[in-house]
Formats: sequence, structure tokens, C-alpha cells
Amino acid sequence: MDFDDYNLDADNYDEMFLPDGVPREHSRLLYETLRGLSAEELVSIQERIKRSFLNEGITFTVYGDEEADERIIPIDCLPRILSDAEWRQLEAGLTQRLGALNRFLEDIYNEARIIADGVIPVEIVRGCPQYRIEMHGFSAPHGAWVAICGTDLVRTNDGFMVLEDNLRVPSGVSYMVANRKAVKASLRRLYRKTGVQEVEHYGRILLKTLRELAPSGRSDPCIALLTPGVYNSAFYEHLFLAREIGAELVEGRDLLVNNGFVYMRTSAGLRRVDVVYRRVDDDFLDPLVFRADSLLGVPGLLHAYKLGNVALVNSPGTGVADDKSVYAYVPDMIRYYLCEEPLLANVKTHICRRPKDLEYTLDNLENLVVKRVGESGGYGMLVGPHSTPEERETYAKQMHANPADYISQPVLALSRAPCLIEGRAEPRHVDLRPFVLHGRETRIVPGAFCRVALRRGSLVVNSSQGGGGKDLWVLAQDDEDPKKRERGKKH
Amino acid sequence: MLSRSAEGLYWMGRYFERAEYLCRLLRWQVETLVDRPIREIYFGWSRIYMSLNRQPPGGRLELLGNDDYTLADSYTLAGDLTFESPDSIWNCFALGRENARQMRHCISAEMWTCLNLAYLGLRKSSIQEIWKTAPESFYAETASEINTLTGVAEATMYRDEGWHFLQLGRFIERVQCSTALLLSQLAIAKLRDVSFDADWMSLLRVCQANDAYYRNYSVDVQPHRVLDLLVTDPSLHNSLCCSLKAVAAELDAIGPGPQEHSSAAARRMAGRMSALIQNDWPDREDHDALLEQVRQSSWELHDLLIAAYINYAIEDSPAR
Repeated sequence: MDFDDYNLDADNYDEMFLPDGVPREHSRLLYETLRGLSAEELVSIQERIKRSFLNEGITFTVYGDEEADERIIPIDCLPRILSDAEWRQLEAGLTQRLGALNRFLEDIYNEARIIADGVIPVEIVRGCPQYRIEMHGFSAPHGAWVAICGTDLVRTNDGFMVLEDNLRVPSGVSYMVANRKAVKASLRRLYRKTGVQEVEHYGRILLKTLRELAPSGRSDPCIALLTPGVYNSAFYEHLFLAREIGAELVEGRDLLVNNGFVYMRTSAGLRRVDVVYRRVDDDFLDPLVFRADSLLGVPGLLHAYKLGNVALVNSPGTGVADDKSVYAYVPDMIRYYLCEEPLLANVKTHICRRPKDLEYTLDNLENLVVKRVGESGGYGMLVGPHSTPEERETYAKQMHANPADYISQPVLALSRAPCLIEGRAEPRHVDLRPFVLHGRETRIVPGAFCRVALRRGSLVVNSSQGGGGKDLWVLAQDDEDPKKRERGKKH
Repeated sequence: MLSRSAEGLYWMGRYFERAEYLCRLLRWQVETLVDRPIREIYFGWSRIYMSLNRQPPGGRLELLGNDDYTLADSYTLAGDLTFESPDSIWNCFALGRENARQMRHCISAEMWTCLNLAYLGLRKSSIQEIWKTAPESFYAETASEINTLTGVAEATMYRDEGWHFLQLGRFIERVQCSTALLLSQLAIAKLRDVSFDADWMSLLRVCQANDAYYRNYSVDVQPHRVLDLLVTDPSLHNSLCCSLKAVAAELDAIGPGPQEHSSAAARRMAGRMSALIQNDWPDREDHDALLEQVRQSSWELHDLLIAAYINYAIEDSPAR
């Protein structure tokens, strides 16, 4: 496959090529391998991967789409590569960030020093719907309010930036592993030669983390993964993780709380559960405390958690820290709690509850991305440059009516990576979601769920909205040696 | 294991067993359409609907017209049992696969891929397409895919409680299907003055027992020998006595349940059923009454199992 028509654009960082068209050092082998394969061979590889996903039932569900009950996520067979140095930079930044976020959660539910010291306005924290007053006075075991975090990162010409932190029930890790298995099997020679760091041990690391969080004195803790059920969009992932860690996959109706302990109903009687890795949102977790109409949760679960008889991963109440308004203050949190400068930048964010920010946003709607603070998955978002005057007008009215529900950010020139589109290499925008685990220590598998906006020109990478996935290869050793660049050839 | 998982695997076993049984029924029934007399075709459809305890579309069977009419009607009936009715092959397969999908962490990856591939193929089928060429090969292939799944399970699944619940479901379903089929055969045969060899031959084929019969009795088809073979032969893999023995063995493997005696009633029931076949069958004349007793006991056994392992009262269960 040639890259003759591959369109490089100086405004967008290209993951494979330097601005002058020379492949980046860490992508050279990939580039040369792809040049040696015909378009037909690559299309056949792509088809094989697609078929393997379908055959193995690696699917997700799009809500409200009855036809697509079990849809496979489109996978691009061309891997994206990060050098070891790039990865180390991300790893340090992510560790730092999660450290600060956990300190923040511990603080706001206890002394609230950060509010008292005026670093973050009280209304931003306590006005957030995800702030759970029920967690007041609680300290998470080992400070691990967030034990599993999926951070969305993007790259621009200015470097990596955090787009958002997912601190409640982040998903996508199963696709990281599935993409790796499929792409590795299809490009095996290249994979071996390239020297890629493994991601398939994620399950082992997750298990280690969950075990560390078990109540004290439980040497062989029983772990259960709590799923909302088969109709949840991420049900495949729940199955995958339960299998990986050898946990029971339970629904709320399988669990009960008795005398402050959590039990599951087994064919041999009730069995005590020590760790619940919950994939159910706070609202539905415990009908005695949160939404009383929830059928997905377990009455009394929060009580058992607070008694220390069961570990809940992630802890209820963590959603306040990934709120889109609170996000703007994460760099300040890092400075406040860790006395360090943030290693990963934030995207400049205008919080529309501030009159000045609202005015700026309304004046520049066509140039900004506006997001509703309570939405995720790419829903409820206005991408200014791609919007119509009518859409902007509707949005402006809604923002006037409820400014606290909105934030705005500049439109980022997301980096692009080559994707196989109709037999040709075309650039598409990408992001990545690495998964950070925190038990007694922080651990990160060197890889991520790399998402791709498969529609030409689109910036929306969410799988529910036309996005797909890509395998991300983190090289085992740093090949970013400037001298090697001299050997590069312009394509 | 989690009670809900145990139940899911139990039902998975039942649904696939039922789907495979339906494939066998329809395969041989569709074959009769090629060259058998209308009387025989009618007998086959009557046996199928009676054994499934279902009404055919339109409420009754009317296959006594000319050949064209018989074929057109058979097309409707096959479509009903393949795709339309609640216990059609498609529905049983889809429900079995849905149980497997929810229990994927309890079965082997090879099993899931095997059955998912079969499901994706079956999903594309329609009765029009099946009917265009040789419909019997569709049923033979679908049965073969289910048998392959059984083989893959045998070769790859971990022999924990999940395995035993899966097997328990299969064998209980087999007992219920077999007794229903034999009872229907006896009931329809009773209505006639003459016994036709072909009806008993077709029963042997449906039960995959014709080879075993020939080996024991040559081609001389005697109804009582056919029945004895299908009910009591310990060497016939799907005879009633073998199925009941397997049910008892699976119950033993699963264990007592939440308390020491939780599953005692179920075990006693399984033992009584086995005893009826082994001890009473040879001496009794009223085979249909005995089979009816076994069939009803198998329904009760199902309820006892669910009560012992799945829906037991919480207060009866000591916590571990």
C-alpha cells in the first residue's frame, strides 16, 4: 500500500509521519511493512479482524437502536504507535493526576480544605449532581476512592492533553485487549520485530488491585463484578473482565446484605462477597440510599461498604471529580495536594456558570465545543465549526436558561493516524484511553483503548456515534533517536 | 457457583437439547415427503405436534388431501416448527445462545465461538431458502452443529458445577422429550387397527436407534422390541434408562445444595424414576401409564431442582 495520496496537514499532528512526510522513527517499521503489503492484503486482514470480532461476539449495544442489539465496534487494522519515552511521560502524568484526584475526593468528603482555601469554589463541588452527601465523613481504604480510572487523552501539535477523566465506571479496556489479540494475530511478523509492550496481563493486574482493596483479614477474598445486566452497552466487557479475574458476574438480584455483610446466592448457599467491582452507576447502586426505584442495585450495600465489610470499586461519590466543571480545576488540585506542576495539560475550559465565561462562549459559539456537564459518550455536545446557525441558536437558548449545565472548550486539532478506509490509507482523528489502577500502589498497563473518528473530518471518536477502535502499540524501548531520523525517506 | 449462572447453564443445556431433538424430528419428517404415502406423513406430523403438546397453525392437521396439498401444508408446518412457534428450532437455539451469552464466563471460549458461528449461520436462514433444495440437509446440518457444540463442550469445558448443571439440563430435557415422543407414538398407534412397520421404523430413526435395533433384532420390526430398546437398553446412549442414570449422576456430582438435605427430594425423585424403568417396565403391560408417570415425575424433578439450588429460601441457607 502506498501513501502517495495520504493527506498531511500541518495543523494536525500526525501519529505516523513528520510534517515533511518522513515516517517518525518509531513508526518506520510499520510504514515499511505496510508499503510491502498490497491494498487487497490489508483489506483482507481488516475483514478477518472484523469477522473474528463478529464470530467471538465482541460487541457493544447502542441504546435506543433495536436493530443493533449486538453491534461490533469497527476496528482499524493499522496500529498506532507510541514510543517508550512518550509512554513514560503519559504514565507519570496519569499517576500524578489520579493521585491528586483521590486526594481531592478524600478531602471534599471530609475536611474540604481545598474549598476552605479558596482553590475551588464550593458551588462547583457541592452543586455537582454527582457530589454524594451520603459519603461525608467516609475515608476510602488506602485512599483509593478511584481504583480504576480511564483517562481520555488527545494529542495536538502542543503535546498530549487530558480531555476528561472517567472515574465512575470507565469502559473500553476489553477492546484494548481484543484489538491487541486481533491485530497481533494478523500482523504477527511486524509485531514481533517491533517489540511491543504487552497489555494482555491487564486482568492479572486488575485482580491484584482488587485483592489489595479487600477488607482486612480476608486472605482469599471473594470478588464479584456487579453488572446492570445483559442489556447494558458494555455487557461484553463485564463478561470479559469477570472471566479474566475469575470473578462471579453478578446482578443486583444475586446479592443481599445481612448484618452489614454482603452475600451472593450460590447453588451451595450464601457466600460472603469481599470485593464488588461495580459497573453500575451510583444512582442505581443502593435503593436504600440513592434511587429508591432502582432494581439494579443492592439494598444496604453502601452501609456494608461504610462498615468496611466489603470493598466497592470505584467508591460511590467519585463522579464529582470527573464532572466537566470540576475538570477545569484538576491542575490546581495537583498543585494544591502534591505541590507539583501538572505533567499533563488540561484543555482550556470555560465554565459557563461564570458570567464572563458564558458571555465568551455565546460570542464564540461557532469556534468552540460546548458540552453539557452531565453528559458523556459524545452526547449533548455542540461542535461549533460543524454546527448550523439553528443548532447554535437552540444551544444558546438552553445555555441562557441553565448556564451551570455547560462548559466550552476550544476546538482541538486532534492528532491523526493512518486508517484503512476503502482500501486506502487516510488520516483520521484519534484519542486514547489508558487505564490506571490504584490499590496500594498505582499500576498502568502500557497500552490504551485508542478510539478513532472514522467519518472523514469528524472529531467524535465515541463508538456510539460512528467511532471505532485501533490497537495502540507502546514500544518496549525508546527508538526516538534523532540520528536515526536521517535514514528516513520521504514517502 | 452463582445460582443464576447455574440456572442459566441448566437452561442452556435444555434449549440446545430441545433444538437438536426438533431437528431430528423434522429431518425425518421432511424425508417422508419425498416418497412415503400420505398416511405416513400424516402420522409423522401428528406425532410431532402431540409430542410437543402444541396445536399446529390453523388448529388441526389436515393432510388427507392430494399430494400437492400435503406438500403445501407440510411447508407451513415445517416453517412453524423451524422459525415461528415459541419452541421452534430457531427460538430454542436463540434462547440457548442467549443463556450462553450471559454465562460466557462460565463456559469455554471454544464453546462460545462454536455456537456463535452456528447462530450467525442460522440467523440468515429462512424457510423459503431451506425449502428450495433439500430441507432435510438443513435439519441434519443444524443437528450436527449442536452435536459439534456438545463435543466441543465435552473437550474443553471445565468440569465444575457449571458443567454438571449444563449436563443436568440436557438429560432432563432428553427424558421429557423421549417420554413425550413415546407416549405420542403409543397414543396414535392405539387409535389404529393396524400397526405399520414404517411408523416404528421412523421412530427408531428419530431416536437415532435404527442401527442399534438392526444389530440386535435385524430388520424385523416389532413394536415391543422397539420400545424396550428405546426405554431400557443400557447400551443405547439416549435410551430412557441411560438418561435417567445420567440425571442421577449429575445430581450426585452437584452435591447437596445449601444444606445437607436441600436436594434430597430431587435425588429421591430421580431414584424412583430410574427404579420404575429398571424394575417395573419389564413386568408391566400399561407402558403408556408408566411413561406418563415418568414424564410427570420429570416435571416435578425440575421444580425440585430449582427449589433446591436456585430459589431456596434465604433463611434456610447458612452463610459461608
